[in-house]
Amino acid sequence: MRKTIQMISVLTIVGLVSGAVLVFTYKYANPLILDNQKSEMEEAIFKIFPKADTYDKDIIEDNVVFRVKEKSGKLLGYAFLAQGNGYQGVIKMMAGIEPDLETLVGIEILESQETPGLGQEITEEEFKAQFKGLTTSPEITYVKNKSPERPNEIQAVTGATVSSSAVVSILNEKIKAIKEKLKEQ
Amino acid sequence: MKEENFYISPGPHIFSKESTPKMMKDVIIALVPVIFASIWFFRTKAIILLLVSIASCVAFEAGLQFLMKRKITISDYSAVVTGILFAMVMPPSLPIWACILGCFVAVGLAKQLFGGLGMNIFNPALLGRAFLAAAFPVFMTRWNHPISLDAVTGATPLGLVKFGHSLDINYWDLFIGNVSGSLGETSALALLIGGLYLLIKKTIDWRIPSAYIGTVLGISFVANLISPDVYSGGLFHILAGGLLIGTIFMATDPVTSPVTKTGRWIFGIGCAVITMVIRLWGGLPEGVMYAILLMNALTPLLNRMTRPRRYGT
Amino acid sequence: MDSLKCASCGKELCKGLWRENPIFFQVLGMCPTLAVTTKALFGFSMGMATTFVLISSSLVISCIRKLIPPQVRIATFTVIIATFVTCADYFLKANFYTISKELGPYVPLIVVNCIILGRQEAFVSKHGVAKSLLDALGMGIGFSAVLVLLGSIRELFGFGTIFYYKILGEGFENWVIMALPAGAFITLGFLVGLFNWINIRLRQRRNSA
Repeated sequence: MRKTIQMISVLTIVGLVSGAVLVFTYKYANPLILDNQKSEMEEAIFKIFPKADTYDKDIIEDNVVFRVKEKSGKLLGYAFLAQGNGYQGVIKMMAGIEPDLETLVGIEILESQETPGLGQEITEEEFKAQFKGLTTSPEITYVKNKSPERPNEIQAVTGATVSSSAVVSILNEKIKAIKEKLKEQ
Repeated sequence: MKEENFYISPGPHIFSKESTPKMMKDVIIALVPVIFASIWFFRTKAIILLLVSIASCVAFEAGLQFLMKRKITISDYSAVVTGILFAMVMPPSLPIWACILGCFVAVGLAKQLFGGLGMNIFNPALLGRAFLAAAFPVFMTRWNHPISLDAVTGATPLGLVKFGHSLDINYWDLFIGNVSGSLGETSALALLIGGLYLLIKKTIDWRIPSAYIGTVLGISFVANLISPDVYSGGLFHILAGGLLIGTIFMATDPVTSPVTKTGRWIFGIGCAVITMVIRLWGGLPEGVMYAILLMNALTPLLNRMTRPRRYGT
Repeated sequence: MDSLKCASCGKELCKGLWRENPIFFQVLGMCPTLAVTTKALFGFSMGMATTFVLISSSLVISCIRKLIPPQVRIATFTVIIATFVTCADYFLKANFYTISKELGPYVPLIVVNCIILGRQEAFVSKHGVAKSLLDALGMGIGFSAVLVLLGSIRELFGFGTIFYYKILGEGFENWVIMALPAGAFITLGFLVGLFNWINIRLRQRRNSA
């Protein structure tokens, strides 16, 4: 009986102390973590819209949309988060689109676990730059091993078709959803 | 008392000193038409890669055996065979240094580190290729047109069918080898001549190629029957890519394939299933290399599983 | 006080570095070893996080070891280890956000790293505070050193850099395989082989001397 009580009390005390320690750590770390996440997103938005000054976050049925504005208050375009499955894991990106919802301003990859040196090339400037000024209707497509000819085409990373096509299809899906939702408004 | 040495090793236990060089010579003879075809279609690129590959395989074998204080066995020609086979599964535009590195992996990592000829689990040439495919995917998917040697990327017949979605196949070019691909894999004609020679000389067992080719035919026939506009027919899958060179020269490697008859059937069927799964549904156009390597890994298990039983047990 | 008559203290510290190295000799903690060593910096961060957890949980457990009933010792150890792991995870996320994103789930997975629970069970629960701390420090440094070594080799061949410092010139073509799990297995295989080879050599020399 004494043993049982000792077992229970030791476990309880250890658990309580651990819980307290965790609460303090969380209180200390959580604001910093949220800050980090926010500044990561801000960085991406300002990289896509270099002239941007402020933005409003807007959530329309699971779609996070940022209305990005110039200093004068003029709408520069919309930035939105898009994510989906890549070759090895989730690809998460921020994309910017002009106010008419027809031309992409650019994309930034926030998270990706593609093959280093191959699929991971999607995070390189060379690949991302292709999305600047890309028209979104008809849907974005990709070509392989040749230069894109139409205004809605990008060139896939050599040897990483899966990663490139994942980026394209994630974007297409989100653009379609955003267009519908924003036009409804 | 006289001291005797007892060696304990897994089977096969019958070693014959004469048979290795003789067998290797047979394989080299069988590879002659393949070599000619590769030189005809890929010209100087084939010659350079072939010479570099043979020289570095032999050099690495001798060098490593010297360093490990083993008996130097380059006179059994097995390093030469590895060198030729390695070159034959390389894309024509591979840089020389990458070829040498691949040979080091083939002979050093796949063969000598496991204990030399007869001890290796994986086919050395294929493991070298797998290493290069993982290390330099861009080089390993860069192909040349035959004869003109114009660079084309990712456009082997299998790649075209899979990613270009064109089922427009010239079977005659595919048969004689006038298509882009690895040096020695394109010419089905040359490979079949070599294979026939090996079968007649009984250097290779007929079961693995039969099981391999038969199963591939069966699977591609069914796939083609279900959706003929997506999947090409069985003949295409036999002639295109590395299937013939794989099934004739690599899947039949006596060291890395099962010794029992049932084991060989299972081995061939397993190779074919994995190949077709990769070709039809995988992310890569070609799956022969990974199929054979995976089945190599299962070989000890297949040997054990299909071990003939003694009567009465 | 065992810290005063600590003749074997140097030994407790040093054994983790080479003779009983957690990776080379005990072959423990393979999951982070193989997964996060794509670059030297990630190996280093992982090593530091693990060392922190190892030292702090050794400290706490060696202090209260006599109070813990043997029947629930594993559960108690796990709770304590998990607490420190979570702290380490939060700390990385708060202060080294990009590194923690690269390390991904492998920081929380330190909980199941066998080195930590293994040391608590095999060493800390039988020894005093000072020895336990030295043991944890030695093991932590040994683990971190191997992770940094592995990360450096893989980063060198996979990206041409070490700690992001360009070492191999423009003509070098990155070996993608070194950044993949296969590269980790190959490099670790070579390193363990080298470790054993050196040990055999040392033993032979000692025997002949």
